[in-house]
Formats: sequence, C-alpha cells, structure tokens
Amino acid sequence: MFKKLMAATALISASMISAASAETISMWVRSGIGDSFKEVVKAYNAGHEHKVELTEVPFAELVQKYATAIAGGQAPDALSLDLIYTPAFAAAGQLEDLTDWAKALPYFNSLSPSHVKLGTYEDKIYGLPLTVETSIFAWNKDLYKKAGLDPEKAPKTWEEITANAEKIRALGGDTYGFYFSGGGCGGCMIFTFTPLTWGAGADILSADGKTATLDTPQMRKAVDIYRNMVEKDLVPAGAASDNGVNFLSFTNGKIGQQSLGAFAIGTLVTQHPEIDFGVTLIPGVDGKPSSFAGGDNFVVTKGTPKLEEVKEFLEYTYSPEGQKIMAKFGSLPTRGDIANEVLEGLDPRLKVGMEAIAVAQTPYTLQFNDLINSANGPWATFTNAAIYGDDVDGAFSNAQDEMQSIIDAGQ
Amino acid sequence: MTTSALTSAIRRRRPKRQTGWRGLIYIAPAMALVTLFFVLPVLFTLWMSLHKWPLLGEPAWIGLRNYTRMFTDARFFNALGFTAHYTLIVTMAIFAVAFPLAIFVEKQRPLVSLYRTIVFLPVVVGLASASLLWVWLANVDSGLFAPLFDVLGLTSGRINLLAKFDTAFLTIIVMVVWKIAGFTMIILLTGLQAIPAELTEAARIDGAGRWQRFRHLTLPLMRRTMALALILSVTGSILAFDQFYIMTSGGPQNKMISVVYYIFNQSFVSFNLGYGAALSIALLLILVTLSVVQLWLLKVGDERP
Repeated sequence: MFKKLMAATALISASMISAASAETISMWVRSGIGDSFKEVVKAYNAGHEHKVELTEVPFAELVQKYATAIAGGQAPDALSLDLIYTPAFAAAGQLEDLTDWAKALPYFNSLSPSHVKLGTYEDKIYGLPLTVETSIFAWNKDLYKKAGLDPEKAPKTWEEITANAEKIRALGGDTYGFYFSGGGCGGCMIFTFTPLTWGAGADILSADGKTATLDTPQMRKAVDIYRNMVEKDLVPAGAASDNGVNFLSFTNGKIGQQSLGAFAIGTLVTQHPEIDFGVTLIPGVDGKPSSFAGGDNFVVTKGTPKLEEVKEFLEYTYSPEGQKIMAKFGSLPTRGDIANEVLEGLDPRLKVGMEAIAVAQTPYTLQFNDLINSANGPWATFTNAAIYGDDVDGAFSNAQDEMQSIIDAGQ
Repeated sequence: MTTSALTSAIRRRRPKRQTGWRGLIYIAPAMALVTLFFVLPVLFTLWMSLHKWPLLGEPAWIGLRNYTRMFTDARFFNALGFTAHYTLIVTMAIFAVAFPLAIFVEKQRPLVSLYRTIVFLPVVVGLASASLLWVWLANVDSGLFAPLFDVLGLTSGRINLLAKFDTAFLTIIVMVVWKIAGFTMIILLTGLQAIPAELTEAARIDGAGRWQRFRHLTLPLMRRTMALALILSVTGSILAFDQFYIMTSGGPQNKMISVVYYIFNQSFVSFNLGYGAALSIALLLILVTLSVVQLWLLKVGDERP
C-alpha cells in the first residue's frame, strides 16, 4: 500500500515537472456578464500552450473577494474587473503597471477610450478594455404580435412603452409588460434606469463627482414612470425583491419589454434562440435616448510571476479571431479599428449596442461600491424605496443626504 | 509534636500542590486553543480598531477616533435598534414554541422519539442552507407560500412576502423558529428531566394544581437550564447575519441591517476594517454585559445544586 502511494506521488510530481513549461494562468471573472469571456478562454485554451484557469465570482462580491485575496496573498494573476473599480484598485497600488506594453500595441489608439480612461491613474495605464457593453432596450416580438402591436416598431418614448406594457399584460396569466430588478440591485438600476435621466440631461452626481444631485425633475419623472407601471401590475411581483439574481428574466419569454445589456443580446442569441426580440436605445424621460457604457477592464495583479503569459492571452483576445468570438457572445468590439469587420455576419442587433456608445455615459467615482453598487448603499436603497415605497419624498431626501455624506466622508 | 505537625502539614499540602499542576496540564490544551483562537484574535481586533485600516493599502494609527465616530453614526444605532427588536421577538417566539414542545416530548408516550427527532431535524441544517431553502419557499413566482395562500384564499392574488418589511420579517422569524426551536427544546428537555419525579409527586399529594406545580416547582428548578437556553438564544440572535444577508440582502430599503451585517458592510463593502474592528469590540462588550445581566437576573451561581 505504502509503495503504491509512493509510486502515485512520484508519478504526479513527474507529470507536474513535465508540464512546467506550460503555465496555467489563474483568472477571475464576475458572474452575470454573459459568456463572451468564458468562450474566448475556451478557444484560447484549445489552441495554446499556456492555459487559463477561469473562476467565476458572483458579481456582487467580486471586489471584496479580490481585495481580501490580495490581502491574503491568494489573488489570481489577472482578472476581468468592472471598469468602474479600476481607479480605486490602481490608486491602492495593487495593479501591475502596463503602460509601456500597452502603448506599444499597434492598435492602442483604437481601444475603447472610456475603458482606457478609467484604466488610467496618474498617467499610468493599469487596465485595458476586455469587454464592452452598453445598456439597451429590448422587446419580445412574439408578445408584441399577440398583443396586437407592430413587432417591428421600436418604442420611442416611455408613454409608448407603458401603453405597450398594458396591452401585453392584458394577455393575462403570468405574461407581464415590463421587468426590472427592483429589490435593491444598485448595479442593475444604474445600468438600466439612470439612462432615463441622462437622456434628459440630468445626472445623479455632479461632473466632478463631489456633489450628489439625485433630486432632479428628470429623476422624479423617471420614478413616476416606473411607479406607474408597478401600480398597474405590469411588472411581476417578484421584481420588488429581485436583488439582481433574476436580471435576465426577459429570457423566460414572458416579459414583454426590459432594459438589458449588450451581453444579454449574446446570451439570448446563443442560448435562447426561440425568443424573437428587437432592440433599440433606452429612451430618456423626454424621449432622447441614452445608455450606460460599462464592461470590464483587464487588470493584472501586481507582482504576478506570469506577466508574459498574461500579455500573450490579452493579445489573443485583441486579435480579430478573439474579438469575433467575444462579439458573438455579446461583448462589443474593444478595438474600434476592426469593429465593422468583427461585427460583420454577426447578429445585426449587436450594432444597436455599438450605436449606444455614442450616447452613453459612465460615472467616474472612487466610491462606486459604497454609493451605487452595494446592496445596502444609498442608490440601491433609493431605487427600491422610491419605486415601491410609500414615501417618495422621503426616499429622495434620505438617499440624497446619505450619498452626500458618503462622498464627504471619502474626501 | 511540632515537627510532626509540620511534616503532616507539608504532607497534606504537597499532594494539593501536585493536583494544582496536574490540573493546569489537563486544561492546557483547552487554554492553548482559547488563547490561539479567541484571545489573540480579540487582541488583534483591538489593535486594528485603533487604526484607520483599509483593506488595501497601509494602516494608520488614529487612536480612539473609530470609537468616537460610533456615537455619531446613525446607521450603527439603527442596526443596534433593529437587532434589539429582532432579538426580543425571536427569543420570545422560540421560547413560546420550544417550552410547550419540551413538555410535550418529555412525557413517555408512544412515538416520542419520533417527535423529538422530527422537531430536532431542522437544527442539523446549516443556517445558510435553511435561509436559501426559505428564499425559494417564499419566492412569489416559483415558491410555495405565495401560491398556497392564494389557492387557500388567504390572500387575493400572490403576495411577494419578501418585498415588504412586515411580511419579510415575519417570514424570517418563522424560519428561525423552525430552525432553532428544536435545539432550545432539547436544552429545556434536559432541565425538565433533571427534576426528580418524587418532588412533583409530593407536590401533587399536597394538592398543588397543574399550573401551581409548573409555576412553583418546575420553573424554579429549571432556572439554570433556562439561563443557558436564554443566553444561547439571545447571543445567537444578536449575532444574526446569514438570514438577513441571504433572504433579503438587508431587507426592503435596508430595514433589516443587523449589527453584524453592518460590521460586515463596513469591513468588506466599504473596506473600513479598522472601524469594523471597533464595532466588533463594541458588540463584544454589549454581549458580555447582556450575559452578565441575564445570569444575575436569573440568580445563577447563587446556590449550589
């Protein structure tokens, strides 16, 4: 028995030595951003000597998990980090400086500018675009047909969307006109709900990020639109306590309309081909469309011994082949110079996601987690309290005060 | 005479000293574990609480500022208030369910072990798993309660139990009672069984009624058991976290942030580990105080059985 054990151990160590030349890069990705990154990793592993080992981390916990992993010396070599967090991690000195290498890339100047901007801290580049996504409005064409609506006509205003939702709800049963994750999902709501106010020229933070400007007529109007739909029973009851787990409810085929992300286009096309849907830009409260430009930056943990392998992997994702795979699964091209080439032959609806970039915004604040994304932060609380609560004025003033006090405490 | 008295005294003392050393050796492993896993972490937490200690970056000494900050932190007081509210209600609910159950399963009757097992079963489920199970049960679309109440005609249409504070709070209380009552029942059961049957019989012969026997015999004799059950229940409720985190993510509009949840948020969402440590120390002091008060109120330790 002992001899057998020894033999087995020797065998394992021998196989490990022989595999030493092929490195394994450990990498993290957050859940809920579709399959584009997973698929590109799969393709990379199939055709390359080095392998990427991917760990999926729940989107709401990625930041604290990564931060604790760094503190505990267990951090992955690289990860796909929500771009809004790049400045905070770069400022804390935890990321590898990629400036020289990045600037030497022949296509550096055509990489998604908002990603590079958020990936830059004190003139050094710590993050490079990995996935790009924008929020868009989707409608279920089958349900439009059943409700007697023109399935090819994209709604242009929220009055139209509400009226359509009523007709779809009238189909009865568990068919609903609209959906949103209203149970305190800050990330979902900043992505899908703030475009209503951005389109109309308002924002929840001042341009320098130092003043909370939540209470605007535009935001009041946006809240009224959602409240009205909830009151008319056009939204499933489960939405009130959905903390983001059921964000992709649209995929169940019983939701008439929902604001989603470009990633969801990829998920719908590849995994739910039975759903016939159209996409358009999210209208603002006055009809002018807007969008949230989000996605992930690729960042490298400071001091990783596998920097060269990581760079090789990133170059693969920037190659036309890598870009094509990612686009197929819903991530918009990160390289502007080959965007048309990449999108050619792919689902035409992805082009709407690309158009959204022109009208999209991204909030820039070092306190994004505290203010917006935390399930107990003021923004997440506000979205639930204002849309589902009894005291709308109180919801506005509480959230406004709390946001301001968090901003002030962080100065 | 004097020398012999001296030697006998030494002889008498020596074995005593030996037992002292022997005793120390016996408890040494326990002491080592407590030191390693409790005393040292507490000291380290104390050390952290005197710093501004971000999760990323260098800690900086700030003295007692974390502690003074606590007194002006409205969210901390909200969390304390909610935790007190929850502890009070859930403890009463657990005892209200566990005591009758303990009395029920104490008497020898057919199938009594089966009853005991059934009531105790939820205890062996982890609290996190139980919370997840109940999240599904309470789900408005695919769960059990909402459609069931609808079919039974208790509610008009399906109600999303987790969307409003009152119903969500009630759901969590029912879940915790379902989960914990069996454990409290077992503790109370041991207390009940420790009461000598002769005493009850004597009281009955003296003409004491059922209620009188319970009030003047059972309750006083169960004081120590009650104290144990009470302290376990109160401490467990004050440290509650999983059910709020998993079932409601802090509840509709943050109304269900318990103290531990707030400490977690400060430490791992806002990355203020120093402030989180200070809050933990404050919570530790509160728990010690409460336990002492409970022991004193129940006068445990005054008498020897």
